[in-house]
Amino acid sequence: MEVFLQTLVAGVLKGGLYALIGIGMTLIMGVMGIINLAHGQFMMVAMYVTYTLFHFLGIDPYFTLLISMPSLFVLGILIQKYLLNPLMKVDSILPENQVLMTVGIAMVLTEIARFIFSSNYLSVKTSYSSSAFYVGGISFSVALTIAFGIALLLTFGLFWFLIKTDLGRSIRAVSQDGEAAELMGVDSEKIKMITMGIGAALVAAAGTLLLPIYYLFPDIGGPFTRKAFVITILGGLGSTVGAIFGGVTLGLAESFGATYIGMDFEDMVGLVIFLLVLLFIPGGFRRLTKV
Amino acid sequence: MRIRAFGLLVVLSCLILGIGSVCAAGEPIKVGVVLPLTGEQAKFGEIEKNSFLMGLEEINKAGGVNGRPIELLIEDDTGKPDVGRSAVEKLISQDKVVALTGGYSSSVTYAVCAVAQQRKVPFLVSTGSADKITEQGWDFVFRIAPPVSEYPKALNSFLSEVVKPQSVAILHENTLFGQSGAKEFSEQCEKAGIKVLIKEGYEAGAVDFKPLLIKVKAAKPDFVYMISYVMDAALLMRQSKELNFNPKLFVGGGAGFTLPEFAKNAGDAAEFVFSADLWSPTLPYPGAIEYFENYQKRFGGATEYHGAEAYGCIYVVADAIKRAKEISQAAIRESMAATDMMTAFGPVKFISYDKKKQQNQLPTYLVQWQKGILETVWPKNVATKPYVYPVPEWSKK
Repeated sequence: MEVFLQTLVAGVLKGGLYALIGIGMTLIMGVMGIINLAHGQFMMVAMYVTYTLFHFLGIDPYFTLLISMPSLFVLGILIQKYLLNPLMKVDSILPENQVLMTVGIAMVLTEIARFIFSSNYLSVKTSYSSSAFYVGGISFSVALTIAFGIALLLTFGLFWFLIKTDLGRSIRAVSQDGEAAELMGVDSEKIKMITMGIGAALVAAAGTLLLPIYYLFPDIGGPFTRKAFVITILGGLGSTVGAIFGGVTLGLAESFGATYIGMDFEDMVGLVIFLLVLLFIPGGFRRLTKV
Repeated sequence: MRIRAFGLLVVLSCLILGIGSVCAAGEPIKVGVVLPLTGEQAKFGEIEKNSFLMGLEEINKAGGVNGRPIELLIEDDTGKPDVGRSAVEKLISQDKVVALTGGYSSSVTYAVCAVAQQRKVPFLVSTGSADKITEQGWDFVFRIAPPVSEYPKALNSFLSEVVKPQSVAILHENTLFGQSGAKEFSEQCEKAGIKVLIKEGYEAGAVDFKPLLIKVKAAKPDFVYMISYVMDAALLMRQSKELNFNPKLFVGGGAGFTLPEFAKNAGDAAEFVFSADLWSPTLPYPGAIEYFENYQKRFGGATEYHGAEAYGCIYVVADAIKRAKEISQAAIRESMAATDMMTAFGPVKFISYDKKKQQNQLPTYLVQWQKGILETVWPKNVATKPYVYPVPEWSKK
């Protein structure tokens, strides 16, 4: 029973972070209609921002959220404005040329990081990175619990923003029907820039929250881009509520897979669920929640 | 990633400095190197590349080989077997190298060895340590480092003389290197009467090892043996501490556990962790400590056994070329097979034993992290510090 509960706790905590990674990609997917394959690399950039601030200025990693999120917001906007928006106006053989562009951006970001920081493994160590507290014999990692709490806050903040503010409504409008939104006077190019910025800022938060318990090197983006992709598909393309379910499902699947099947199969369990969802509920969890 | 200009640069700088007389002149001899310079194993590739270049510079400064400088063509295998294969194909067909060396990850090295054998180019493996690499009867493949099954030799004698454990849990990364090491070690344990309670692999780069560690903790093994690369190693130790998991000792099977990055990233969770090790600068080999100090001076970071393997390799290759009857791949294979020399990494002589062919045999050591410094603790005659055992529990460290 203890093993079961501990696995459950580990899965849910990790799932909270995964959800944060997935929501950003989902937002971008909904508004732009493309998969952002540089998503994990945005996270890597944010982690380097956090590392630099922590290492040179001694700022606590959680406070660096206030810097890493805005800087990635700006980076997202710049990339959308100067690299992705111009592509939409160009006729091309492949309609997916924006997706290909994100792959290129991912590579460039990785190599820039390697150029500046070399391939060294870096980590941020705080007094609480490897401490834990216990509730009835179940260990909760302090850093992961804080990360989960902040991830929840950010998610609620995002929902409030999407539902209650004008800008949020415009984003949802473009996501539901871009042309109709434009006819209603929504500046869709601006909305796309802001959405890319928000998506990048959200994944930046995930990166910053993950860094105290994980580590960092230039190639870390790839695996997380893949995870974000799986979460986005699980959740149903473009559904933010779905992405939360997708993230928690992936976290739980990985944890239970690791405990009861074997840790060699951790990634496989997630991907098998991914395939099953594609086969049996092709619309993702959105089909079940109807949000 | 090629550094063709490098040999030339060395020659030029010698000329400018007016010491041209001791410099090698004439057509350079091309040697190919395959290493992971990008990707997840880039850190190790970097250490080995720096060491190769340091050795190369010294050899060429001292006149090269029979008056000709050696030129290293370094290709990036990115840690993937297919990329490694095409890199080595290119080195052989396009650059016409006379010998190959390098080879970090076992999976890549295995693929590269197959090509070298097929194209009959001598390949001196610096690291790739899965046992089967030298068990294929390939006569163009040599290995300077011991196979992974022999990494825990010193550990085994330490266990039987000091710890006398009853049970073990073996964790390994799910790669050729990890699987091969775990299989051999569990066989050695069973032979020594130590019960293997858990033997499980994991996917390298995992975020959360707790599900695995909870299971291991519940099984209550006397000690834990882990075959991991550096960051997985650091996370395994940090999360063991978080779970307050206290076996009699944690032992790493080389690879990640001896790197300075391990201690830096694991922090206090690295304290008193043991590891198998193949080399240390304090060993009584000529040039070992000089290599260590020069490396630190030049690259500003510490080196460890992977670097020493590479540094040793370039000297062995130069020696084999020097003794070869002619500069051809077949002749260099012949002379390399007859190698019997001393390097900073240790004595090198390629012998055949058990199923292995052209394998160098070396003693291994047991090291322990003490206050952030990697101390050799076993065998006693080369120990730099006495071992700390029994290891105190996490709460008392």
